[in-house]
Amino acid sequence: MGGSASLLPREALGEYQELTFLTKQEILLAYKRFSELLPKEERENACSARVPKSQILTLPELRANPFQHRICRVFSTSGNGDDSMSFEDFLDMLSVFSDSATLDIKSHYAFRIFDFDEDGTLDRSDLEKLVDCLTGQGEESRLSNAEMEQLIQNILEESDIDKDGTINLSEFQHVISRSPDFVSSFKIVL
Amino acid sequence: ASMSTNGSLTFISFFSFALQSFRRFGNTLSEYFHLLWFWHRALKIIGANFGTSVLSYFIFLKWLLTFNIFSFLINFSFIIIPQFVAAEPNNLSFTGLELLTGAGYFQQTVLYYGFYTNATIHKIENGPSYNMQLAYIFTVGLYFVICFFTLLFSMAKSFCKNFMDLQTYSGNASKILCTWDFNISNEKAVKLKQKNLSTQIKVQNAGEVRNFSVKERAVHVVIHLVSWIASLGTAVAACAGVYFLSINNLKVRTDFGESQAAMLVLPIVASLLNAFIPFFYSWLGCLERYQTPGYHVYVTIIRNIILKISIVGILCYYWVNVVAESESQCWETLVGQDIYRLVLVDFIFCLLGSFFGEFLRRIIGTTFCVSLGLPEFDIGRNVLDLIYAQTLTWIGILFSPLLPGIQFISFSIVFYVKKVSLMMNCQPPRKVWKTAQMTTSFMFLLFFPSFVGVLSVIGVTVWRLKPSEECGPFRGLSSMYAAVSEWIKTLENHTASKWVVWIYHNLITSVLFFFILSMGKPSPTCAKRTRRAGQLESPDTALSITCLV
Repeated sequence: MGGSASLLPREALGEYQELTFLTKQEILLAYKRFSELLPKEERENACSARVPKSQILTLPELRANPFQHRICRVFSTSGNGDDSMSFEDFLDMLSVFSDSATLDIKSHYAFRIFDFDEDGTLDRSDLEKLVDCLTGQGEESRLSNAEMEQLIQNILEESDIDKDGTINLSEFQHVISRSPDFVSSFKIVL
Repeated sequence: ASMSTNGSLTFISFFSFALQSFRRFGNTLSEYFHLLWFWHRALKIIGANFGTSVLSYFIFLKWLLTFNIFSFLINFSFIIIPQFVAAEPNNLSFTGLELLTGAGYFQQTVLYYGFYTNATIHKIENGPSYNMQLAYIFTVGLYFVICFFTLLFSMAKSFCKNFMDLQTYSGNASKILCTWDFNISNEKAVKLKQKNLSTQIKVQNAGEVRNFSVKERAVHVVIHLVSWIASLGTAVAACAGVYFLSINNLKVRTDFGESQAAMLVLPIVASLLNAFIPFFYSWLGCLERYQTPGYHVYVTIIRNIILKISIVGILCYYWVNVVAESESQCWETLVGQDIYRLVLVDFIFCLLGSFFGEFLRRIIGTTFCVSLGLPEFDIGRNVLDLIYAQTLTWIGILFSPLLPGIQFISFSIVFYVKKVSLMMNCQPPRKVWKTAQMTTSFMFLLFFPSFVGVLSVIGVTVWRLKPSEECGPFRGLSSMYAAVSEWIKTLENHTASKWVVWIYHNLITSVLFFFILSMGKPSPTCAKRTRRAGQLESPDTALSITCLV
């Protein structure tokens, strides 16, 4: 841990502390874990390197997460759609999932993660895919079509306030605000 | 007289300097996260495998650890070290049994109140002196004040954050949008959680609210009533048992002396009651079949807390009314020893409980009776055990200043043992556990019956009970509080300290007045004291007025 502190420049460390919700120790730990994902030759320039998605998904914190692909897609700033992440994308992700991030930020990013077709609202297909992620793909735990229909019907009845058949960001945040456990469960800590 | 004032002022300046440097030290310490690395790592592994609900127990345990280490550090710095300087030699013999009974050799050590001197300690001629009486009462008092505000503040913060849940329970289906626990990173745990969620959804979809007939509702009400009577009856029976056992304890002690294994009977019985009656309550809860599972959890927790607080309450009543009035030489040390034994036996039972409750249960669940499966970690029961142990420790601080240090070590061992047992034996929780709501409730339980009860007991001890004549820092005084009032009287003669006297008369005594008012019924000892108090000055007249009310 002492070694990586000398690799990350002090000004960058200060800047990252300003821009994210992470503490100094968390940023240093993130740097260490990020460099371990890179091949040895690229570790010197970890700040500017990009890690391919397959490598990111080897992290134990993301490996078993049902939303791993959506997380990589949402936080990656890669222009060519390969969902690779730079160190700053990585810090961004950890910042949103950290202890100190506010409910607003978390609900905003949760909405983006659950918006599978990225059209800005959660429509029926988004909700179906979401429920599939939550219940898993196994034979026993998968919901039948009828059960899925009923569940989505119930969800839309309860949360779709303007009755347009989709859940927009403010309706989603309204649901989130009624669940105080959300902040502590929407957390990934290295 | 001037020496003691000098000593008191030096004590105050030393205290504030120490507090400042302690805070600075604490800040630099938290930057070296290597030291906190063990906790961080352990908590992360628990969260990754079992989720936020089980994690909340370990976070609560860690929070209690900070209360104990803080108490130990200030006791050690301000009471124990000066006592070491002024210690008398200990010529009692040491046998192994004393580690369990806390008697014998330990009576003449810093472990108990009785060993502390009431003198003003001088080490250097004409140098600063250290008033042990003031140090003792101020250290303990300051610790409780800090605890009070910390608990109040944490509780308020937690309550505000989780206020949402108190609104009308609207809609289960949409909660599915925010239930996924991103902490879980173990594959098996993820699959298990997905299966549980799927079951939950299917049950939710299928279960409509049945309209019960009048007859069925009446039967339900009768069953609830019977269960409540059974649980309260068990609690009362347990208290009666503990009370009679403690009276018997006193007789054994006066007849046969201290260092007997027989002294362990009371703590063992108390711990057995605390260990087995909760299972009876859980069984009652299963019989009752509540409509919402959340309600079942709350009822079981309320019954358990009533049991535990009654047992602690009856013990306090016994200590304050029987032991303090007994003819023994040093009643505070007797109380300290009782508490030491209770804490130690409770710790041993906690470890045994882990072994039998989780390890053996897993062996049974996997080899003999496979339908049972792996045990789940019972968060509610374990947190209430922690609250019980912490209540005992808080009561014991006045009588045994080393006790928080002992409890810190025991809680650390419990943390480690529970974590290992959890990883080895348990499966992740199947039912929904509203973590935020339950954590707030547990903090509230720690504050309201537990801490406030402790404050009342300590308050009664400090203001109304007469300290022993022959031992401890308050020997010969009419009450422990008299040390402070006498000090204020000496300060009145010095113009430099008039502000302290002003604060005392206008703020503290009026607060005390209201506190004593709220403590309720006058006891027979109080009636005795009012007759004596007629001869003393103003603060005690306030006391006598409230006693007659």
